[in-house]
Amino acid sequence: MSRTAPGLDRRTFLKVGATAAGGLLVGTWRMSGQEAAAAAPGRALALGAFVEIEPDGTVFVYSPRPEVGSGVKTALAMLIAEELDVDWKTVRVRQPSLLDPKYLDQFTGGSAGISDSWEPLRKAGAAARAVLVAAAAERWQVAAADLTTERGAVVHAASGRRLAYGDLVGRASELKPPDNPTLKSSADFRIAEKPTATVDLHDIVTGRITYGLDVRLPGLLHAVVERSPVLGGKVARFDAARALAVPGVRKVVELPADRFALKSGRPVMVANGVAVIATSTWAAMKGRKALSVEWEEGPHASESSSALRARLEKLASGAPGKVVRNDGDVDAALASAARTLDAVYEVPFVEAAPLEPVNCTALVKDGKCELWAPTQNPYNTRSFAGTALELPEDSWKTAITVNMIRPGGGFGRRLDTDYAAEAAYLAAQVPGEPVQVLSTRRDELAHSLYRSNGYHRMRAGLDAGGNLVAWSQHLANCSRYRYQHGQSPPEASEIYQDDFPAGHVPNFSVAYSEARSAIPIGYYRSMAPGATNFALECFLDEIARAAGKDPLAFRLALIGEGRELPYSNYGGPKMDTGRLRRVLELAAEKGDWGKAAPKGRARGIAGGFVFGSYSAAVAEVSIARDRSVRVHRVTSSVDCGRVVNPAGARKQIEGAVNDALNLALKLAITFERGRVVQKNFTDYPPVRMRESPPRIEGFLVESDKAPTGLGEIPVPPAVSAIANAVSALTGKRVRKLPIRVS
Amino acid sequence: MASFTLSVNGQPRRVSVDPDTPLLWVLRDTLGLTGTKYGCGEGLCGACTVHVDRAAVRSCVVPVSSVARQKITTIEGLSSKGDHPVQRAWIEEDTPQCGYCQPGQIMCAASLLAFRRNPTDAEIDDAMSGNICRCGTYPRIRKAIHRAAAIAAGRKS
Repeated sequence: MSRTAPGLDRRTFLKVGATAAGGLLVGTWRMSGQEAAAAAPGRALALGAFVEIEPDGTVFVYSPRPEVGSGVKTALAMLIAEELDVDWKTVRVRQPSLLDPKYLDQFTGGSAGISDSWEPLRKAGAAARAVLVAAAAERWQVAAADLTTERGAVVHAASGRRLAYGDLVGRASELKPPDNPTLKSSADFRIAEKPTATVDLHDIVTGRITYGLDVRLPGLLHAVVERSPVLGGKVARFDAARALAVPGVRKVVELPADRFALKSGRPVMVANGVAVIATSTWAAMKGRKALSVEWEEGPHASESSSALRARLEKLASGAPGKVVRNDGDVDAALASAARTLDAVYEVPFVEAAPLEPVNCTALVKDGKCELWAPTQNPYNTRSFAGTALELPEDSWKTAITVNMIRPGGGFGRRLDTDYAAEAAYLAAQVPGEPVQVLSTRRDELAHSLYRSNGYHRMRAGLDAGGNLVAWSQHLANCSRYRYQHGQSPPEASEIYQDDFPAGHVPNFSVAYSEARSAIPIGYYRSMAPGATNFALECFLDEIARAAGKDPLAFRLALIGEGRELPYSNYGGPKMDTGRLRRVLELAAEKGDWGKAAPKGRARGIAGGFVFGSYSAAVAEVSIARDRSVRVHRVTSSVDCGRVVNPAGARKQIEGAVNDALNLALKLAITFERGRVVQKNFTDYPPVRMRESPPRIEGFLVESDKAPTGLGEIPVPPAVSAIANAVSALTGKRVRKLPIRVS
Repeated sequence: MASFTLSVNGQPRRVSVDPDTPLLWVLRDTLGLTGTKYGCGEGLCGACTVHVDRAAVRSCVVPVSSVARQKITTIEGLSSKGDHPVQRAWIEEDTPQCGYCQPGQIMCAASLLAFRRNPTDAEIDDAMSGNICRCGTYPRIRKAIHRAAAIAAGRKS
């Protein structure tokens, strides 16, 4: 994960204060020592918080993380409301707009929204409840322990007295909340863990929600950018005269993207270009068409997918750049194996393509910058904008304001914040006037950050009894960490060496070789596992078939009882293969594994440990007359510990399965002459209604373990299950994504 | 620049824009009706779907000059209180995730139901496959359309 910490210490404070309307305000947040010292009691009001109760009884709950469609706004609010003990129907959920240290980690990525917030947000709700109880105890002169709460009221059962929260907020706002309030037992939950509809439904279906492109400010200008068609190209010269003659065009400026990088060296924008700033989107687009730009193509004009593939093939066939894991003696075990298998698995670059293309609105005025950013990552939004404005780093917090705007989807694309850097830079060219910078769909596909490719050379050895005794994997690809100039080694973003079947094969090695490239590397929902699970779970399937065993039985035999193993990658520090076993069994049972598939169809199965959660899938496919793959049914099982909102979880599984179809069957970004080949949804076609499986069923393992993530988890095994189903149906092994049947 | 008096959501709206401006940008930038979304600019994703007379059209590829005499309905005008059967069904099925495509999906579904009161799954697939949902809410969209048909027919409330 590329997560920029807010730069504060980890101490958590609980704090209450009064709202402007005389209500109660409770929060829990981390403060630096300095901020804590500055936060005199009277200033609590200005600090804001998670819970606001007005004297009229209105309850506002602040759900801190960006909502990109995963339902986190609903689920986090449920946790607060549960411990506060109010009627969910009376709760109004708001998203704090401003990036602010008191809202903990305002970041959505890595399926960590629930797991990171589970305890702190429950504590915030419980602390608010505690001061309300204390205020009632004081008023009635009874012990707080004799009081209970019930849907927004404090109750004294012995005397039958009852006070609504709204009547207690005056005194409650003066009381000190407990640092460690008692949390409810889950047996008493009335909101959390109950299926709950998404908040904001009515505003969504009436078109009232404000997404990034819907931000409207007085005097708003609109900008589009003609970017270098070639990776790393520069503007040699341009003529703006015709563009400036288009009515509504205000300004034409060069966007010198490569001038700006973080201290680490990481570029904050993707491509150089020429921007047209106008009074309307259409005027900006027309002005752009009228531009005349000559490009200096630079050193990457020969980059192509076929040349890159040849490099990967060479790398993966040679000595590894780095051995990441090495158990036993793979070479000796392969040499003495009764049977060996060799295979190459390949995945392409993909672009996340949220339906609202990346965009951002910025206003630069008097040395300050305000951003209206549809983002998954408000911290990077600020640092990227600060870098593009060449503001000293110690001024970013005060000089840059980030308003978090709901994005029209994320899927990882909005973890990178190049759009904020562009908007800040362009807004600085028209000080005092807000500018909304829009990437068209074509722009987004051509000038994005792409989930990396992969060329996996796999080898396995079976003993005479068909047992897996040796396994080796050598991945060659381009590294996201390399592109991000991070502290971690390049392989760490690309391959998770402790993934199953690690720990279950005596001789086991994982190696990595990096291919350097100018291609910007970013994210796609399910990140590395979305690419690597295909190699692991399909090769396992292949091995099982070669050993003459059922793929599920083969996996279960390999797992045995299952055990807890160290897991050093994202989602660790432990992986419990017993839980992996359980999701495989659940998907198999619900997905009719082992029963005959309908005529002309076949099923495939796969599982995986992804970011701390477990998932498996059974897919049922057929091949249409035009040789396209039809997915009729996907049964997905997930163990993500406790489930805060089972209704939201099912929605995420449905969406994740459709996104698995995108990776399995639909999407690939390729390069020719240093340019992205794909142009729009014609040649980069996400799954449509008629391709979506008629049956998608999600099953959640009941668990009392702390919640882990869900949004991305079902994707990787569903991709592999589809591939394994196609292999089973055609008898020809699928080893390349997206799947093409000849 | 040219002047047009458009009929938008039952109201005459006078605009002064280039005749080739796509209806989408007139709605969003000139009239401030931002419920209609931009997704691809080439009529491929359906996020910009509005009704022109009763038919669903992709407003990103329709020049404003070509619809100057027709009745335009956007998501904001589909119903006065957000209680069109399709909107109600969408809420009852808890359909949206990010929600960005849903105004376009809803406008497309409303147009389908105006012509086919009780569409089959195959008819739904045909009518709705021009609208992309990147979150993959298709199973719920399908169910919501059946539910909307039932609501409109008074079979469910």
